[in-house]
Amino acid sequence: MVKKRLPDWLNSPMWSSPTVTTSPPPKSRSLSPPPPPPSSSNDDRYGIGSYPSKSSSVTSSDSSLNEPHVPLPPPTSIKQEPTPKTRIRDSSTRSVNSDNDVSSSIEDVSRQAQLLEEIINIGELRQLCLLGIPDAAGIRSTVWKLLLAYLPTDKGLWSSELAKKRAQYKQFKENLLMNPTSFSMILNVSVASQSEITRTFEVSASLKNGDLSEGKGLLERSKIPHGEHPLSLGKTSIWNQFFQDSEIIEQIDRDVKRTHPDIPFFSGDSASSKANQESLKNILIIFAKLNPGIRYVQGMNELLAPLFYVFRNDPNEDSLVNAEADTFFCFVELISGFRDNFCQQLDNSIVGIRSTISRLSQLLKQHDEELWRHLEVNPQFYAFRWITLLLTQEFNFSDSLHIWDALLSDPEGPQETLLRVCCAMLILVRRRLLAGDFTANLKLLQSYPSTNVSQLLYLSNKLRSC
Amino acid sequence: MAAYRADDDYDYLFKLVLIGDSGVGKSNLLSRFAKNEFNLESKSTIGVEFATRSIRVDDKIVKAQIWDTAGQERYRAITSAYYRGAVGALLVYDTSRHVTFENVERWLKELRAHTDSNIVIMLVGNKADLRHLRAVPTEEAKAFAEKENTYFMETSALEALNVETAFTEVLTQIHHVVSRKALDAGDDPLGLPKGQTINVGSKDDVSAVKKVGCCSA
Repeated sequence: MVKKRLPDWLNSPMWSSPTVTTSPPPKSRSLSPPPPPPSSSNDDRYGIGSYPSKSSSVTSSDSSLNEPHVPLPPPTSIKQEPTPKTRIRDSSTRSVNSDNDVSSSIEDVSRQAQLLEEIINIGELRQLCLLGIPDAAGIRSTVWKLLLAYLPTDKGLWSSELAKKRAQYKQFKENLLMNPTSFSMILNVSVASQSEITRTFEVSASLKNGDLSEGKGLLERSKIPHGEHPLSLGKTSIWNQFFQDSEIIEQIDRDVKRTHPDIPFFSGDSASSKANQESLKNILIIFAKLNPGIRYVQGMNELLAPLFYVFRNDPNEDSLVNAEADTFFCFVELISGFRDNFCQQLDNSIVGIRSTISRLSQLLKQHDEELWRHLEVNPQFYAFRWITLLLTQEFNFSDSLHIWDALLSDPEGPQETLLRVCCAMLILVRRRLLAGDFTANLKLLQSYPSTNVSQLLYLSNKLRSC
Repeated sequence: MAAYRADDDYDYLFKLVLIGDSGVGKSNLLSRFAKNEFNLESKSTIGVEFATRSIRVDDKIVKAQIWDTAGQERYRAITSAYYRGAVGALLVYDTSRHVTFENVERWLKELRAHTDSNIVIMLVGNKADLRHLRAVPTEEAKAFAEKENTYFMETSALEALNVETAFTEVLTQIHHVVSRKALDAGDDPLGLPKGQTINVGSKDDVSAVKKVGCCSA
């Protein structure tokens, strides 16, 4: 057992020199250990088939953090015989554009990712994805859907399940996305109380008709159901609900337009980016209406964007055209693991965002007490965004996809993994933090330097609770 | 960054907060003042962001530590920590969206609940460049500011109109408050050593920065 919590390698220049190489192929030469990451002579250290699994790091007597992990062979599986084209998995994990050789190796990659199995072993799949999923060939799209349990592990069930979900989404759209000025929308503001509201409206509509048929042309005020007029301040008023809805829709609209303004897929005036924005809006509005306890919270757009981007770029035509529906369900699943962070009522509870942030602080204390002592910056001032947005604003887009591979696949679950990655981020810049004052440190952490993400994930893996 | 080096040499450190509805341009006001930058399509602010800039006020170097917060209601509970120690606030609305002006009252209430009564507040009508879309008449806002006893200015972060003036005015007024306090504390002329940070709150996060003192106790 290692008593000292701060091994020497923490002070290695490797962690503090800001690596300008934002997206190099993750080969060991760019990492210059200590500690040497798993040897990569076979060039597939970051291939999804070869990273040491959690169990392997436990069993390989790796109690000392100084000791490099020894890569184990890929978990055995009938269809997982190594192929000579392992390099594709290596290079394609780093860059969206590196799709040379892709077509010929899609099958290899799929096989590595277990996607050719009839029944997918989700546990093995998780291990395979820990350090990243290839960007090419739509692998990530399928794997994320599996990891988020949107796709069943039994491939035989995929088509029926997808058909069911997509039909359901179509139904949501029809019911919840009406013209905002029509009564239909008001009638549907809350699924839970829908029937009640419908009844109320039927009543008032019949009253109105009655008035008109009598030739008065005016509604008799006394006959309007109590509290159901546009100026009503009552919380249960459907009009109040209507105005709140339009407020939320405007907010969603503003934020969707501000989602990744630097990426043409999301922004600009092209027809495709407009259509993509429309999809993001639809999903967020439907989510808000189906979840009246949370509705829309700023930042949800940032969590939605990676999912939609990945699914919408799936080379499979069927997946591509249904990206909006698929994204919706995966978003719901993703956010269900983090919804407490978005809930104002829980801010001060044991599961709310403040408590999550203090857990990060505790984690840092556990792994690097010196840094923890030195950091006088209230972690709320940087970690709030890190945690709420799952690191999507701290790294460039393709790097954040890689981080998400780890968040979604880690058997410890997204929240635990996220906290470990955040802790690793602090440790990676520990030298600068130790040298900096309040202002310098806050600026550094609010504008995190570009980093080799593979290195970050490697360190975060080392912080796994002992 | 070299531009920030000189920041270390200052007479006063004042913490300012930017508040107001989502999308009124708080972040752009900050980046215009701190870095002379404007971004037409900036990301929404989640949590808090932070920038500093030092300017000369009267004969003193004042370092402004400016906090920019998320606008949405949900984030207000969490952002209350950001008010701590603030001695100035820019309460921003969008001159082209009346609802953002209507909400100013709520912001003001929250601001006053979380800060010292001596805080210097300026009501700022941003996006004044959108002249054809104006929804809040200058007079209306001015009258409100007078009633609420706050300063008032219309700005355009896009056109760099009045941004410098607005921040400078707030910092100057804070400096006056500090000086006045120094005079008020005349019983004991040594009560307020020179070159210290004004701190009107209780224990605040600014205190992490060096040169902190407390002149309000």
